[in-house]
Amino acid sequence: MQKRVVITSVGVISSIGFTQNSIIENFKKENTCFNTALFDNQIPVCPVKNFDVKNFTGRFKNIRYLNRGAQFCVASAMEAVTYAKLHKDMLKKAGMFAGMGPNLDISGEFSKSLDGVGAIDSKDLPALWILRFLPNTAVSAISRLAGIHGDNLTINTACSASLQAIGEAFRKIRHGYLDLAFAGGGDSRLNQGGILAYKKAHALAAGGDDPEKAGRPFDCNRKGFVPGEGGAFFLLEELEHAKKRGAKIFCEICGYGASIDGYNMTAPDPEGRWSETAVRDALKEAKMLPDQIDMVSAHATGTQLNDEMEASLIDRVYGEHKPFVIALKSWIGHVAAACGAVELAICIYCLQNRYLPKIRNLKDPNHKNINFVKTSAVCSFDSVMLENFGFGGQNSALVVKAWC
Amino acid sequence: MSIFEKIRDIIADLLDIEEDEITLESYLIRDLGAESIDLLELAVALNSTFNIEINDDEIFLKTLRLYLTEAKEKKEDTSSYLAVRFPFLEKKRIEEIMEDLEKGPVIKVKDIVRYVAFR
Repeated sequence: MQKRVVITSVGVISSIGFTQNSIIENFKKENTCFNTALFDNQIPVCPVKNFDVKNFTGRFKNIRYLNRGAQFCVASAMEAVTYAKLHKDMLKKAGMFAGMGPNLDISGEFSKSLDGVGAIDSKDLPALWILRFLPNTAVSAISRLAGIHGDNLTINTACSASLQAIGEAFRKIRHGYLDLAFAGGGDSRLNQGGILAYKKAHALAAGGDDPEKAGRPFDCNRKGFVPGEGGAFFLLEELEHAKKRGAKIFCEICGYGASIDGYNMTAPDPEGRWSETAVRDALKEAKMLPDQIDMVSAHATGTQLNDEMEASLIDRVYGEHKPFVIALKSWIGHVAAACGAVELAICIYCLQNRYLPKIRNLKDPNHKNINFVKTSAVCSFDSVMLENFGFGGQNSALVVKAWC
Repeated sequence: MSIFEKIRDIIADLLDIEEDEITLESYLIRDLGAESIDLLELAVALNSTFNIEINDDEIFLKTLRLYLTEAKEKKEDTSSYLAVRFPFLEKKRIEEIMEDLEKGPVIKVKDIVRYVAFR
């Protein structure tokens, strides 16, 4: 028999806040962290301010092996672990699923050795510098800090990675392999290497005067995405297990879908055939019809190609039902591999507060038949479809429902 | 800053512990909790700070037990055998180590200091 899966703990580190209260408050006051990159005033970015991983881990010598993205992952996971209040024996058996990005901070990692002649070694290079580049270093650290020893995966499917990590954890519980699984991710590509990569790919909203106005998902004048950073982690739990221990239930995960385009290394298939499959698979697993979805949290990067494809996809799937469509990247930038996790955390808090955040900077929508949220509102909604798509043609979708 | 003070700062940084937890008599592994990867990083940091080549096997006494077995097999005097192979250790320290073998890894902060001073 298939089990029901609920979320019983949330940990989030985002540019718009670290707690439910601060995030909702910052939404209401429209306090965002958009700025220009320190090393290139043509590039808008959205950094997390006042973050020190030690505030979440305490003393921990292995922090030296965590790149900034891994630090967000570990910090948010430790928040989720702390809030979960699980007994040691339960933590031991819990699973762990993380969506991680590559460390692109090449100039930062090798700053003392980039000598212009190709040598990358230097006498200061840590003996185990490799750990700062291995994607599973974060879960290794979390395991040691929290005493988690169950089944685990580190997933590297670009911007779809953390939603897929959550989806995989959901399936492991749904099909009875685990009762408890921590899932989420962390990422940061605001360093010179990361920015260079996206700049050369012409994916960034570069060159504008006001970084606050650079990210414009679904607007006809959108120019690209604004890189952000952060992390989020959740405890996914089998429903009866959660009830038995009296855990607070935030929401239920009802369905998940994933697919791959097989079309282009970076651009989405403009017809969105396989992204649509992922969305419809998630609905099917949730045993829900499109008109039972109240809100779509769109991937909405603000790039020409994604938003064109995604608007058509939303129109095809939901038609005249027209659920609310939000675009959280207009508030926190694009958190890369961790965007799914951070956006899920924010969606959960929005569900809890019945708060519908507007799509910032949306003046001239690129599609006429979609209910884009243009003014923030307090309103009743229960079910959310999250969508994330990534380089390589990665697609993922997750359906969550409020727990009443 | 003395050699000990420099080494103490490096160890405090690598192991994320307070400097005053570290004395010349602290056992690197038994007391301070250093693991194999920490010793690798310590070697890199010592090399960088003091500009000397570090032989991991020597400085961390990694081959100590191998030499003990060899000395026994060759029926040689153990202390003299070790003194040749770890020339930075004083005779008195070698004797101390011989009596301490049962309790676990013998390497102390003062051995690291001696190694650096000797080089």
